Amino acid sequence: MVYLERLHERAMDRSSDPDVMARAFAEHYCKTFNENRAALGALYQEGSMLTFEGDKIQGAQAIVAKLASLPFQFHHIYTVDCQHYVPPQGGLLVSVSGVIQLAGENLRQECIQMFNLMPTLQGSFHVLNHIFRLFPLNYPSIPSELCLKSLSKRLEDSFSSSGFAVK
Amino acid sequence: MDPDGVARAFVEHYYRTFDGNRAALGGLYQEGSMLTFEGDKIQGAQSIVAKLTSLPFQQCLHHISTVDCQPSGPQGGMLVFVSGAIQLAGENHQLKFSQMFHLMPTPQGSFYVLNDIFRLNYA
Repeated sequence: MVYLERLHERAMDRSSDPDVMARAFAEHYCKTFNENRAALGALYQEGSMLTFEGDKIQGAQAIVAKLASLPFQFHHIYTVDCQHYVPPQGGLLVSVSGVIQLAGENLRQECIQMFNLMPTLQGSFHVLNHIFRLFPLNYPSIPSELCLKSLSKRLEDSFSSSGFAVK
Repeated sequence: MDPDGVARAFVEHYYRTFDGNRAALGGLYQEGSMLTFEGDKIQGAQSIVAKLTSLPFQQCLHHISTVDCQPSGPQGGMLVFVSGAIQLAGENHQLKFSQMFHLMPTPQGSFYVLNDIFRLNYA
């Protein structure tokens, strides 16, 4: 009986407003990232792709390894936008803007990411595509090239000094 | 051309058209295309072009910082994620933006925009 109730719940969830689903997914993702990063593995599959600051990673295992190495937390979400696209796959595109905070530092930085969510047979979603980018600091008074390099360098320095491997 | 090259070429063409001849963007959308512009949802090439040509500025220039792309599935679709800044004519500061395109192949061997999500970044 519990199993059937859960199926019904999931069916109802899937037929609910896509904006609500997208917002719920974004919040669930960020919360899981902050509290139990290894659990993110359940959201990715073999063919999933992540591009993190230009680095391309494929497959749930490699993606979770990359996510586990990142020394920041999601601080808050600004905007969540989504669009369906029609079958045969029936995917949901979600675009999220927000702020990350570097662990143990006062440094916060805006970030943007997009997800392409595919429905699973179990009535849930998995992440087929995921792209993550930081917005440069002090934009645009510093030329973007320099901005990105200096931010990457600062993050790199923070990463190494806190004992995390950069790559 | 490799996918990254295709994505880059598309993005440059899109913003060049936007900055130089906004009405011509209609050729890049179709009936089923969707645009979410700062939270407003618009569907179909005609309505999308009407929205873009009615924005409250005449001239603008897009500066692209990053372009990332990934294939979106067996249909040959491509997801393109752009970050950059828009300079409006007569304004000192630039507006940061991010934009997500979901491109689908056309029979002619080109791409059209099926999904488009645009956001300014105010913070």
